[in-house]
Amino acid sequence: MRSVRIWFNKKDTAKYISHLDMTRCMTRAFRRTDIPLWYTEGFNPHPYLVFGLSLPLGVEALREPLDIRLNDDNYPMERVVEQLNSVMVPGMEFLEIAEPVHKALEIFKGEYSVEIPTSSPKELCEKIKYTVENETITFEKKTKKKTFKTINVSEHLSDFRAVYHEDKVMLYFNLPAGNDLTINPVSFCNKLFEMIGEENILHRITRHRLLMKDGTEFR
Amino acid sequence: MLKDVIESVLPLVQKPARYTGGELNSVVKNKDNVDIRFAFCFPDTYEIGMSHLGMKILYSLINSKDNYWCERVFAPDTDMEEIMREKDIPLFALESRDALKDFDVVGFTLQYELSYTNVLNMLNLAKIPLRSKDRGNSLDIPIIVAGGPCVCNPEPLADFIDAFQIGEGEEMMLEFLELLEKAKKENKSRQEFLEEAAKIEGIYVPSLYQVSYNEDGTIASVTATNGAPERVNKRVVADLDSIFYPEKFVVPFVEVVHDRVVHEIFRGCIRGCRFCQAGFWYRPIREKCVETISKQSKRLACTSGYDELSLCSLSTSDYTKITELLEELLGWTIPDKINVSLPSLRIDNFSDELKEKLALVRRSGLTFAAEAGTQRLRDVINKNISEEEILSTCRKAFVGGWTAVKLYFMIGLPTETDDDVIGINQLSQKVVNEFYNNPDKPKGKGCTVSAGVSSFVPKPCTPFQWAPMDTKEELKRKQQLLLESCTTKKITFRFHDTELTFLEGVFARGDRKLCDVIEAAYNNGCTFDSWDDKINLQGWYDAFEKCGIDTAFYTNRERSYEEILPWDHINSGISKSFLMRENEKAKKAETTKHCRQQCAGCGSNKLNGGKCDALSENMV
Repeated sequence: MRSVRIWFNKKDTAKYISHLDMTRCMTRAFRRTDIPLWYTEGFNPHPYLVFGLSLPLGVEALREPLDIRLNDDNYPMERVVEQLNSVMVPGMEFLEIAEPVHKALEIFKGEYSVEIPTSSPKELCEKIKYTVENETITFEKKTKKKTFKTINVSEHLSDFRAVYHEDKVMLYFNLPAGNDLTINPVSFCNKLFEMIGEENILHRITRHRLLMKDGTEFR
Repeated sequence: MLKDVIESVLPLVQKPARYTGGELNSVVKNKDNVDIRFAFCFPDTYEIGMSHLGMKILYSLINSKDNYWCERVFAPDTDMEEIMREKDIPLFALESRDALKDFDVVGFTLQYELSYTNVLNMLNLAKIPLRSKDRGNSLDIPIIVAGGPCVCNPEPLADFIDAFQIGEGEEMMLEFLELLEKAKKENKSRQEFLEEAAKIEGIYVPSLYQVSYNEDGTIASVTATNGAPERVNKRVVADLDSIFYPEKFVVPFVEVVHDRVVHEIFRGCIRGCRFCQAGFWYRPIREKCVETISKQSKRLACTSGYDELSLCSLSTSDYTKITELLEELLGWTIPDKINVSLPSLRIDNFSDELKEKLALVRRSGLTFAAEAGTQRLRDVINKNISEEEILSTCRKAFVGGWTAVKLYFMIGLPTETDDDVIGINQLSQKVVNEFYNNPDKPKGKGCTVSAGVSSFVPKPCTPFQWAPMDTKEELKRKQQLLLESCTTKKITFRFHDTELTFLEGVFARGDRKLCDVIEAAYNNGCTFDSWDDKINLQGWYDAFEKCGIDTAFYTNRERSYEEILPWDHINSGISKSFLMRENEKAKKAETTKHCRQQCAGCGSNKLNGGKCDALSENMV
């Protein structure tokens, strides 16, 4: 038995596959290949599949980790990626397979970008910058006990940049993502756009990488 | 453009993956290379529609032709519908996200009567005129077709559907589309096309039939016009081994009701339970052979990645080679970690061999359809199982470690007395007693019997098609009686909503006068009528009143054998004289042997050139 980490992306309509549905979707993809997936040995065996971190519904991702176990130590690694890509649904692609370097618990934050198409990029960019720099952004988050907890985004937001282009504004930032604290970029964006009076503005959130506490990339 | 608008609303709705398309094995074609575009509509939500086998078959069948493109459409959930109306988004198909108006054919599958208002709502969302007569005489507006089991009485939807496909679609569908392709190339009018289509076996064009009524509201005559056949024969395919079956299923992202490989192992049913529409409608019996089932299932498992295979039929254990089939399937499903499930098993024909095989598949709940509480009433409905068979099977199950049993019953069956109703409780109690009589019963564990008690609705194409249905009040009284007769908490009863049953009863045996009611109810805001939490009863009552319809005419009235029934011009193959014979036997509580013991002469094999798999066996 051998533990490996596969990296994949999730774009376009695939971003609407919820985290709950992802396990089922991935399991079925593996089952369409000849990859010797290791199954748990309990009463009701199921394949061992662990996602590094859940991805919020509607967020695209460029590089997400999925840990699996292979039964056959000699199964060629490059074949795993090749096989999976030949049976995968549109919007998801496997990029690379490697030995896990870090433990999933070491994931500390996510690196995000937000693309906002607009006809007045400069104005919008200024507004966003002003709000992020001068105001405290908070939102209510439902806890597991069904009570509400106030999340102060401003305290945790880091490396924020807003840049405008000809027909769009791009935001770049890091938010906590991991075992201790996760701030959903969707909630952050919704709150931010509400504060600048642009509730339903079309935008596209992408998670680029996962980072560890020291700011280096999770691998 | 429409694509962008749809994209912009997806983040605002629950489970957006229901509206995105792009699932594994969904078919996308270049519309420039396509001659006929077909929108297959299921008039309920994605989770329900995606579970439907018929859609999977016809979707793959139509898409197997290079120049035809079939796409899927479901009723949007309430939140999505609200946004679609607010943003003026027309109903669109999942694969291309094009509006339904751009299609050549919009087809609905009618699986239950309470989905009729959803058909109207989907037409409205698609901006297609509700009534056939308002769709002009060109083929520019899509042709609206409908099929599925409800079309054994299509009349309540006669004004809305251009053409019904009666019976099995595997052959009829392509013949219909080929004719349409030709008509489009030759610039035929809508009327010309429909008249031509009516000549295809199984196609019923309701506008070509004139219905006149007697003063009491019963039908005086149904006249075929413009060369349409007097009676439309239900279409049947001759043989299941050579008929089309998909190699791929669209695999949904969200969890749907039935999310697995499904294989239909035979059509029809040998039992002839007198209340059961499906048991007669899907006749004659045709079995698929073991090799075909195994080969096709394996292919489907490979292309989908599913880890469950479900055999589907009206009575799985009546498949002649069930043990052989299981042996063959388990040969590859066990190493591939696929669970095989066998729904619809009867308890009276379990061989020891079958039991041995079943022990290898994952153990599911234990469910018996006893249908009635007393032997007399079970004889009336021709449900040929005895109390001893039920109890002995439960006994064995309890010895095998089961602690929960589900039983299915009906109330409101013809000739039912209060003793029969109380009999449901008595039988349930006897099952509980079996548990406690087991000397090796697990310590500290109780037993639960949950009895699902639905209300009987007389259906067309059954021996009870003439029978009066119980009133709502009577059904409620019987439910109460049953509850009061029960003194233990080990038995729980679950009832069907009598209001929903009542509506189903009206439309099951309805005529064309109900078209107005359906439209009026729809205008009153009725949709999703089969959903307990969405049904708008007042909307229905107002609609009946507005249209001057006395519902008792449809539900509580006993029809005479002489009366022309609204569906008499649809030939299910089951002869009226057979149904009368069965109805008379029911009144005397006489049973009929199943088809393999003795052919009862239902007549359905006439539609299949005299062939019936139950019959041929009998003759050997």
